[in-house]
Amino acid sequence: MLDPSIFWLRTATCFYAVGLLYSMLALVRRGNMPYGLARGAFRVGVILHGVAIVDLGMALHRLPVENFFQMLSLCAFWIAALFLMVEWRYQFASTALAHFPLVFVMTLVAAMERPVAVLTDVRVRETWLAVHIVLVLAGYAALLLAFVASILYLIQERRLKTKRTGKLLATLPPLATLDNLIGGSLGVAFALITVGVILVMMWAFAYSGTSWIGEPRITVSLITWGLLLGVTYLRASAGWRGRKVAVMALIVLGCSVFTWAAHAGLRWT
Amino acid sequence: MRLLLTGLNHRTAPVEVREKLAFEEKALPEALDRLKRQPGLQEGMILSTCNRVEVAVTADEESDAEAAVEGFLAESRSVARDWVSPHLYRYDGTDAIRHLFRVASSLDSMIVGEPQILGQLKSAYALAKQCGTISGYLDLVLTKAFNVAKRVRSETDIGENAVSVSYAAVELAREIFGSLQGSRVLVVGAGKMAESAARHLRRAGVSEILVTNRTRERAETLAMEVGGRVIEYEEFHSVLPEVDIVLASSGAQNYIVTWDEMRAAIGKRRNRPMFLIDIAVPRNIEPSVNELDNIFLYDIDDLGKVADNNRKGRLEISQQAEVIITEEVDRMLLRLKTREVAPTIVSLQDQLEQWRAGEIERQRAKLGTLTPQQEEALDAITRGIVNKIAHGPITELRKQAADPSGVHLMSTIRRLFRLGGD
Repeated sequence: MLDPSIFWLRTATCFYAVGLLYSMLALVRRGNMPYGLARGAFRVGVILHGVAIVDLGMALHRLPVENFFQMLSLCAFWIAALFLMVEWRYQFASTALAHFPLVFVMTLVAAMERPVAVLTDVRVRETWLAVHIVLVLAGYAALLLAFVASILYLIQERRLKTKRTGKLLATLPPLATLDNLIGGSLGVAFALITVGVILVMMWAFAYSGTSWIGEPRITVSLITWGLLLGVTYLRASAGWRGRKVAVMALIVLGCSVFTWAAHAGLRWT
Repeated sequence: MRLLLTGLNHRTAPVEVREKLAFEEKALPEALDRLKRQPGLQEGMILSTCNRVEVAVTADEESDAEAAVEGFLAESRSVARDWVSPHLYRYDGTDAIRHLFRVASSLDSMIVGEPQILGQLKSAYALAKQCGTISGYLDLVLTKAFNVAKRVRSETDIGENAVSVSYAAVELAREIFGSLQGSRVLVVGAGKMAESAARHLRRAGVSEILVTNRTRERAETLAMEVGGRVIEYEEFHSVLPEVDIVLASSGAQNYIVTWDEMRAAIGKRRNRPMFLIDIAVPRNIEPSVNELDNIFLYDIDDLGKVADNNRKGRLEISQQAEVIITEEVDRMLLRLKTREVAPTIVSLQDQLEQWRAGEIERQRAKLGTLTPQQEEALDAITRGIVNKIAHGPITELRKQAADPSGVHLMSTIRRLFRLGGD
């Protein structure tokens, strides 16, 4: 029988997933996403998250901060609650793009304190991992596209800024096209890699518990994902574009190369 | 009398210098008046465009016209003579005529073949004429320059080859934005260049053109011509964040768009790129604006360089035009020399007539009373002799008028026939 607090926490994670979906769609499509629906789901998620913490606290007869998972859960709850308060008080919703994925990932990890039964099956685990690899590699391909577009953007931008308008570089695509390509590629890469990371985290918790958390290659992965989240968020929310985003895309790809190298033998180790 | 042309253009002076030397349109009548009052100068015309400032004068042979014109320029524009002097070119006589022909034909323009310069030269000529600072010699040369320009345009493909600054601006806009569909343009100032650029942008597909000018009527005229909308001059800064392209060409003497204003504007538009085209001289937009991310600022010199790279077949067409110019300069010189020998020919004819009439009067007592028929015959014989004597010198004078040796011949004839003034 599943512990009620874990049940509530996992249900909250499902609601937070709506917010995650909203963020990814907003970053990829950059159109008007149904924010109201995502916010509603997020609020329900926060309430259920609170119920889970209270339930666990009552069961333990003390504040549930005994281990990594419980602390992460409480931390995610406070971040979510704070976001809702700021959003309600200042009508300031633009940080939702970053908050929704962050709270989802933190809650998801916290909800993995107890192994998920379905992942105990070897075939499911193998398929799970394969899906992760496919998604992450597709994300890397999108990052590579962003990388090439960024290089071209920086050359074209330099050429136009310095007014060296020789014919040799006149065939480069327009800046706006390159900028859109960088933004679109980063958005797609973010969506693919985020889903890939979530899958592998679930897989890792089921397969190895928490022993992998301190590994350097995991740290590299999380830094890369954090950078990707940062650049896509700043582009979509703070209006970052042009040279800044192009440079950031180069840095993200550089980190991704390290991450890929670190994980190249994951399946066989 | 001699013709002298002093000036600077986009090749000899950067825009920073040109903008200091440029004359405001409304200041030109007063400047022309002061120019004519310079010692030794007889006629004068000032051509002031965004790419050149030139002063053409005719002066007495013995006067120091170069110094007078340079002093006039420095004093008029409140700059040190030593500062401006290195940027100036000076053409005298035949070279000045050739230069004026080349300017009128758009061979000396930043954009070879662009049509605006001829209109600008005609306006400068009309103003000088209106102010009474042009009469015989300069009038003749400038009128001829307009004809030469017409001939060059009709006999070569120079007009076809004119890849204008406006066109270059549109090409650059495409390199920044890709398609210009949906772009918004703000035109500040309502001059000819602005009109041309706005037309190009409209043809390239921009969705909206906002026009502003200190004089609202001119803004309305331009807006009507390019299908734009007028906004108040005092309010144009507030629309900067909403426009993608700014085309500045106002006659303001100071920067009307600053670094701070553009930084605020680009922030408000969330860093969406902006293309600023400053074709005004003096410049309208603070040059440091180009250092801001996602803002691309091009002034008239920058656009000229872009246009220069774009041109094809320029050399061949220019060579054809240069041949026409050389031909026309020769014709002009011949006409001017003929004009110079005319007084000598008239003097010679008068002198010979006086001698003939004098001799007849002196011998009349010896001849006795002549019948009208005899009088007529005597007149015919003596006139025939005089004409035969005059024919050789007059023909030679006309023939050698354009030749440097013509001056010596004229001098010799004046001495031989005691015509005086030599």
